[in-house]
Amino acid sequence: MLGDVILRTENLSIQFGALKAVNDISISIEKKKFTTVLGPNGAGKTTFFNLISGLYKPTSGKVYFKDQDITAYSPQKRIHAGMGRSFQLTNVFPDLLARENVRLAVQSAARIGFKLFKSYKGYNRINEETDRLLKDMLLEDKADVKAGDLTHGEQRKLEMAMVLAQNPEILLLDEPTAGMSVEEVPVMIELLQRIKDKGDTTIVLIEHKMNMVKALSDTLIIMVHGEFLCEGDPESVSQNPEVMAAYLGGGAINVSA
Amino acid sequence: MGNITSRFPNLITIPKLLWLLAGIVILIIPPISTTATITMVSRIMIFAVYAMAYDILRGYIGIIHLGFALFIGGGTYFVAILFANVGISIPILLLAIVGTTIYSIIWALIVGKIAAKSGLLATAMITMAFAEIMRNMMERWRTVTNGLDGLTFRVPAPFDNRTFMYYACFVFLLLMAFALYKFTTSPTGRVWQAVRENEQRAVFLGYDTNRARTIALLVSGVVAGLAGVMFALLNRFANTDVLAMQMTYNAMLYSLVGGSGSLFGSIIGSAVVVLFQNFLLDLRGVHFIFERWLIFFGSLYILVVIFMPKGIMGFVETIRERWKHKKGGKIYES
Repeated sequence: MLGDVILRTENLSIQFGALKAVNDISISIEKKKFTTVLGPNGAGKTTFFNLISGLYKPTSGKVYFKDQDITAYSPQKRIHAGMGRSFQLTNVFPDLLARENVRLAVQSAARIGFKLFKSYKGYNRINEETDRLLKDMLLEDKADVKAGDLTHGEQRKLEMAMVLAQNPEILLLDEPTAGMSVEEVPVMIELLQRIKDKGDTTIVLIEHKMNMVKALSDTLIIMVHGEFLCEGDPESVSQNPEVMAAYLGGGAINVSA
Repeated sequence: MGNITSRFPNLITIPKLLWLLAGIVILIIPPISTTATITMVSRIMIFAVYAMAYDILRGYIGIIHLGFALFIGGGTYFVAILFANVGISIPILLLAIVGTTIYSIIWALIVGKIAAKSGLLATAMITMAFAEIMRNMMERWRTVTNGLDGLTFRVPAPFDNRTFMYYACFVFLLLMAFALYKFTTSPTGRVWQAVRENEQRAVFLGYDTNRARTIALLVSGVVAGLAGVMFALLNRFANTDVLAMQMTYNAMLYSLVGGSGSLFGSIIGSAVVVLFQNFLLDLRGVHFIFERWLIFFGSLYILVVIFMPKGIMGFVETIRERWKHKKGGKIYES
């Protein structure tokens, strides 16, 4: 059982002043499974991701990735160990072409390092991989548009291409459909389904709309007020009275109190 | 239809003709011009290298280095102190070049460490302090540097020949422009732009952004230091002005007027600014109001910032885009 766990947190906590944004969370993510972290706005989901991906250092607790304590690792080291993450707010290089955004991600994954004397265009393998990813993401006609000039949905897709370029073993996706139009959401869902069906990547998704991810997820983890509430398969979790209270009751019924 | 440019699109183009023209003009200036003009164009070429080095930081990776005079000033003082106090020969010049390179590397590493720890603004302020400290040191160290009055020195042959110096500056500009162009189009150069655009994203692509910054500081520092060596050889004089804030402002001015983020823009910017300065200075003979030429210079600068926020290169780019659209429209009509 333990061998199947790819990512584990142990009493992970972070405190900003008096606010315990993430409080004492211990979870295990199984390899090659689709896990969704659900919770109302302000539940600490993104902060939890920031702790896992190394943007924040935890106040206490540990993060284990592939049975290795990575709590002290820099974000870069975690990326090269096989993590990939996307951001809730669109996070691209706005003044660079869409193609260059993806190419930079592929270049990092290829670890060609800090070469100074060769033209960046001279790496065929990287260029081919870039074209493949853009095509996969249906962005081939937009390749020569500045990333900042793309529509919001296209930018989200571009971000996905950048994360996938790193060939991560675990994908940390922070609300990939946030701010997408109704027509664009199914495209993203289908893409997630495709990655899942391929079956070689562990996916951890943050969402706050339960209906969207019920069909996709193997496991749901519910967070409320920075704390772990419950975990299980989508059916049983959505029947859980505490979860229903947290979702339906909102602030009126405080489950953690 | 059927004109030369469309039949041989890759053989003769307008940019190529312009390059050829510029090359010819630069090569025939010495035999037909006065010494003053030759020296001025030489100075433009040195400042162009200095501005390009600055633009690597400002325009490519996005570091605001308010103490950039450290590098050109350092190079100038290495040459000046050695020539004035040790001896005048080519080996001494080589020693100055080696010294400048080491000095620039040390400063680049120090600033790299600071930039990694503190933010953009703190780096800007701290670098400014560094340059002021160096300027003060050179001012106080009178026995060696002769303070504000500066050092006058002779330079070894063949650098004492104005025409030779002119061509040396030209070769220096070509070499440095080529090297910097190579660097900016290398994988590392692309990471520089990524850091400028969105450092957090670059980190989460797995890039060591501190390392990228340090490499940029090293490249730009060494190039600016070497520009300082050339500057000393050309002026045969060094005082604390080369380390003053004004020297850093010059680099900013050249690269901003030319177009930030474009190496070629820095060259154009240096030429335009220096030529315009000289033009205004010459007007002093026409009317006494031009004694206050800085007023006109400042006004022009304000106009450039308002009407060409992306500098001359940005302006040219906009015009070209518009022209393209117009041309496309015509085809559409017919």
